[in-house]
Amino acid sequence: MSFKIATIADAETAAGFALAGVQDVHIHERKEGTLAKLDELLVSKDVGIVFITYRIAEELGFEFRRRIKTKKLLPVVLRIPDKTGWLPKVDELHEIIRRTVGAEIIVKGGS
Amino acid sequence: MELLKLRQRVTLAQKGHDLLREKMDALVIEFFEIVRKIGIVRAKTMQQLSSAYRSLSTCFAVQGTIETYQAAREAKKEVGVDISTRHIMGILVPTIEAKLVERHALARGYGMYATSSALDEASRDFERALGDLIKLAELEEGAREIALELEKTKRRVNALEYVILPNLKSMVKFISMRLDEMERENFSRLKRIKAMFEGRE
Repeated sequence: MSFKIATIADAETAAGFALAGVQDVHIHERKEGTLAKLDELLVSKDVGIVFITYRIAEELGFEFRRRIKTKKLLPVVLRIPDKTGWLPKVDELHEIIRRTVGAEIIVKGGS
Repeated sequence: MELLKLRQRVTLAQKGHDLLREKMDALVIEFFEIVRKIGIVRAKTMQQLSSAYRSLSTCFAVQGTIETYQAAREAKKEVGVDISTRHIMGILVPTIEAKLVERHALARGYGMYATSSALDEASRDFERALGDLIKLAELEEGAREIALELEKTKRRVNALEYVILPNLKSMVKFISMRLDEMERENFSRLKRIKAMFEGRE
């Protein structure tokens, strides 16, 4: 099945993704508007991937995490760094690994 | 009767525990594999993305902000992905395939006349980055699903190992002790009755 890609980002990043051909680009301005858009994307049937920048995800905070936890398999939500390359200090995936495996996994080398 | 039933439950719990443990081991192997892949893909994607941002900034500088936004609005938006699901140990994991990411400069949809080559470069970089990101999205989502399942399985294994099995075992022990005690009581009672009979004769 074919799905659309959506992006939630600041204006410059959004412009870049629009140039690459992403159909649904939402420019983040205010928290409420972005949350409403996110809700709409999460329930829509034809959106496959949602890219959201780390900065906006951080700004939405708890509301964002709750929506990620309770979402269905699709759409896939992926957080990306924005144009400043800003990343949160604690990687969520590492956090999950630490909680489940009980140990930090360090992948050595790129074989 | 109750003892027999309990013993059955103990063997069942034991079997379930072993099975779940095996499932957990398999999941961990799968998980490590995917985490290793993510490490590689993520590094590559981040590099691609940062170079895309750099060429976008160049484009903003060379061509002007308004023109770039204009071009972004004009660009054809047609990228789609094929998503199907596959099972790993009973977990649904999405597989994503990008259909057509890198396009020809003429196929992008903005006008050739008013735009510079910096814009073409930025578009191309972003298309590449998008392709990488789609791959990364697939892997990360798979890892997330597996991690959640792993957490659930681990909780179940621990519940069986540390709560249910000891409980059942202590119940079995209690009942068998009680039965033994009853038997001993009965034995001594019979002895006593026998002694009483002998005393009467």
